[in-house]
Amino acid sequence: MSAGNCWRNITMESNEIIVETKDLVKTYPGGIKAVQGINLKIMKGQIYGFLGPNGAGKSTTIKMLSTSIKPTSGTATILGYDIVKDSMNVRRVIGVVPQDLTTDEDLKGIENIEMVARFYDIPRKEARSKAEELLSLVDLSEFGNKYVSSYSGGMRKRLELVVGLVHSPQVLFLDEPTLGLDVQTRTKMWDYIRKIRDDLGVTIILTSHYLEEVDSLADLISIIDHGKIIVTGTSDELKSNLKGDIIQVEFSSEEDARKFGEYGNKIDVSYPHPNEARMKVKDADTELPDIMKYLVANEIKPLKLSVHRPSLDQVFLEYTGREIREEESGDVRRSELNMRRLRR
Amino acid sequence: MSGLIPLTVRELRKWYRNPVFFIVGLLQPIFWIALFGSAFDITRLFSEIPASTGIVSPFAPAPNYITFIVGGILTTTSLFTAMFSGTSLIFDRRLGNLGRFLVSPIRRSSIVFSKILSTTIRILVQAIILIGAALLIPNGLVLAHGINILDVIIIAAALIMVAFSFSSLFSIIAIRLRKQETIFGIINLINLPLLFASYALFPSGLMATWLANVANYNPVSWSAVSIRTVIEYGNVMNGSQFNSVMLYLLYLFLLSLFMIILTIFLSEKEIRD
Repeated sequence: MSAGNCWRNITMESNEIIVETKDLVKTYPGGIKAVQGINLKIMKGQIYGFLGPNGAGKSTTIKMLSTSIKPTSGTATILGYDIVKDSMNVRRVIGVVPQDLTTDEDLKGIENIEMVARFYDIPRKEARSKAEELLSLVDLSEFGNKYVSSYSGGMRKRLELVVGLVHSPQVLFLDEPTLGLDVQTRTKMWDYIRKIRDDLGVTIILTSHYLEEVDSLADLISIIDHGKIIVTGTSDELKSNLKGDIIQVEFSSEEDARKFGEYGNKIDVSYPHPNEARMKVKDADTELPDIMKYLVANEIKPLKLSVHRPSLDQVFLEYTGREIREEESGDVRRSELNMRRLRR
Repeated sequence: MSGLIPLTVRELRKWYRNPVFFIVGLLQPIFWIALFGSAFDITRLFSEIPASTGIVSPFAPAPNYITFIVGGILTTTSLFTAMFSGTSLIFDRRLGNLGRFLVSPIRRSSIVFSKILSTTIRILVQAIILIGAALLIPNGLVLAHGINILDVIIIAAALIMVAFSFSSLFSIIAIRLRKQETIFGIINLINLPLLFASYALFPSGLMATWLANVANYNPVSWSAVSIRTVIEYGNVMNGSQFNSVMLYLLYLFLLSLFMIILTIFLSEKEIRD
């Protein structure tokens, strides 16, 4: 599986290409290479997830595709419209939920949706009924006539989600849709996002640095780092690509751990905990009986024995050489900023 | 221009729903007229000079200072309100609203023009209230020769063109700016010279010659003098007075036309999130 052709291996509901990019590059003034040649094809009806740490180029890619910024080089089309030459037509067919909040606090929820509807020349009456329909989609009906300044962070994010849907777009871009939300609100947002895809048939392209989020939502995932797509595949494909499970054994003493160390070269010697042993095996189910036999034969009593199937976390580590968590330190500051905005 | 109407409606809603903003915006020019105009009635100095001396008041024919400065106050109110339309663009950028506008299929210039248009509407409302207040103040505005519909159109046209010129200028400055402090700095820097190097508060006869010459090129003077002429002469305005008013309005028209074209050009091309 490689970045370029893996999409072909996946059977999707449709083979209609919605988004296609060729060598998309964005270099910011000052020489910062945010995106360094992205090639992808996104099919109708997919939820396509970009996973990567902050500064990986996810948002820049979304901003280029949603016409807020122009690429330095390369091309991209959305439903056949070129994002630079045909940007007005692109804007008509896409919906965007940017990372930052965009709704106006001084207006009511429904007024925000209606205003955006008018941007698309939707007649006033139709705009009102569409706004009501969208508010009910995200359970905000009773808050439609309240000022956005009185909304909680989660309500505000839900409103953002539907503002981008007012003109029934065929493609919806979600840039970090749950950044700064608590876990409960986040899972609720996932439900809304799935509902949008299933009920409205919208192709969704989302970015996230939350592994659980892309794992749970996306049909196809591209891991992106340093402005490049490192690998693309379904969550299962990416995981099975790691070829193996991890078995971890915990002992009551270092001595036991040392004795077990003679089990074989499958044991990860670099594992830093002296009372534990970790090994990567092809298939835990066939390996476990051997381990048990060895433990009994050598009279070693383990405290705990656990099996870990690969998670997207490990996939990320495998492909980027670092854990996504390492990136969180820089991210905390940003989500705090966002939280402050959400709370206001 | 798609997007212009909903965006202008948004601006106006934000204005009239914020009572502090709304009332302060109206009270401040009234204070100017009522307090500055009444406290500083220098026309009295001249009214006590007997006519036989042959000295003519440089404020003539205004019977009092308020009548003299109404045109100037209307113009500077318009100017100051217009200058702040740039900050509103910066706030839209900082609060994220601009991000939504930019991914919508609206003309980029309509984002900027919604600011200019709503500012102009606010200025006209302020002007009506201000003129009403000036008429009510004791020893206030005197319309000695009445006022006709053409006069009203001239006053409105002068104010609209000042509003268009300066809110365009400040919106252009704000097109890529993220810090409102820059705009505040520029406003502080230029409002004093624009006000005092003009005929808004004083007649040219009282100014140093060099300043009077400079003031002649100040758009604030063009508008202030046009409105003053209309207020002072009303129905008895003669041909040459009318022509000079028309010439000033032409200057204002050319300036605002230039600024509008520049705004369209720059906002379509340069506006960024």
